[in-house]
Amino acid sequence: MEISPRTKYLRTIWAEMARAHSHLLWLGLLADAFGFESMFLQFWRIRERVLDLIEMTAGHRVIPSVNIVGGVRRDINAAQKKAVLDALPTIRKESEDLIKVVVNDYTVKSRTTGIGVVTKEQAFLLGCVGPVLRASGVSEDVRLTKYHAYGELNFEPVVETAGDCYARALVRARELLQSIDLQIEALNKLPEGEIATKVRGNPPANESIMRTEAPRGELFYYAKGNGTRNLERMKIRTPTFANLPSLLVMLPGNQLPDVPVIVLSIDPCICCMER
Amino acid sequence: MPFMLPTILKNLFTGYATRLYPVQIREPFENARGHVVFLDDKCTMCGACAVRCPSVAITTDKEKNELTFYPLRCIVCEVCVHVCPSDAIELIYKWRPSFYDKPVELHKSTRLEHLRESTDKAKEKEAEKGND
Repeated sequence: MEISPRTKYLRTIWAEMARAHSHLLWLGLLADAFGFESMFLQFWRIRERVLDLIEMTAGHRVIPSVNIVGGVRRDINAAQKKAVLDALPTIRKESEDLIKVVVNDYTVKSRTTGIGVVTKEQAFLLGCVGPVLRASGVSEDVRLTKYHAYGELNFEPVVETAGDCYARALVRARELLQSIDLQIEALNKLPEGEIATKVRGNPPANESIMRTEAPRGELFYYAKGNGTRNLERMKIRTPTFANLPSLLVMLPGNQLPDVPVIVLSIDPCICCMER
Repeated sequence: MPFMLPTILKNLFTGYATRLYPVQIREPFENARGHVVFLDDKCTMCGACAVRCPSVAITTDKEKNELTFYPLRCIVCEVCVHVCPSDAIELIYKWRPSFYDKPVELHKSTRLEHLRESTDKAKEKEAEKGND
């Protein structure tokens, strides 16, 4: 079954919007972890505006909930496209101002530099994914497999080499700006066409896997059908499940006040992990 | 601190980021998924929505002509709106007001009642004809 090019672009746009709001949330939480409350609220203030964009286009605020088998449920019309394109440059400018603080500020540097270091080999052997892996110098991103519309967009993975909490913050900060750029590019290239292909019948007796790059890292789906209405097996591996073992390397030898910063630096989502 | 200064200074001269909530309410976007509404005059109690609902927020009983909807379970995924064959479920862009207790909506389909009445009458007529 083929999905239309417009569907691919729409899915890309919503995926990048979700990444932008997730990274803004994380950057705020990082500031909160070492008590930089004003930066925490500034990041969340920008995040609200990204959430408004998701609500305007997809209907929901945090989880767009637009994907269906064969396409997407909502379309982005001309007025919405214009509103998003108008809002994104301002969001980018404000994010840039705050990211300067993350990059240069003494408080941020002193609490994150050289803390929770994972080397390139360790990250690779522990099976880290997403920003944790990229912060250790491995240029690995599922978006390089060119799913959705990523093959047609100007995309390069963001890589840092230090492997500490500061590097992970920098990767997410630069990915945030890259994500906004990708949204603008995808919206400008948005082709015309159908948004959903009609799918009839039950899932066939076959199995399939899909890897996507979620904001926290590689998200893995496995589905097996048996020709009936219900799937025989469904397995989801979330990025946190893959990143959690790296804490065994990061945590030993650190002081207690650094533990929240280190645990947060892998962006844990325990409720996603429990499956 | 010096790197935060431009943002702090800008904040001094820009408006509030928050609203005085109960006084000033933000209208949701036209496209927003507020809540679903059941139209009793169109529903046929077919049960398609109850089968497809991922959060088990709808149960139907065709015998009793009852559709029970639990608004607190609903995640407004819009699936029921799309599967309903008689367009009896509508999506409203406004959010549901806050609750004081756990609400349960009980719907009785007027369309099904009319259908049943008419079929009963038809049956009676047939029975009368049979007696004659």
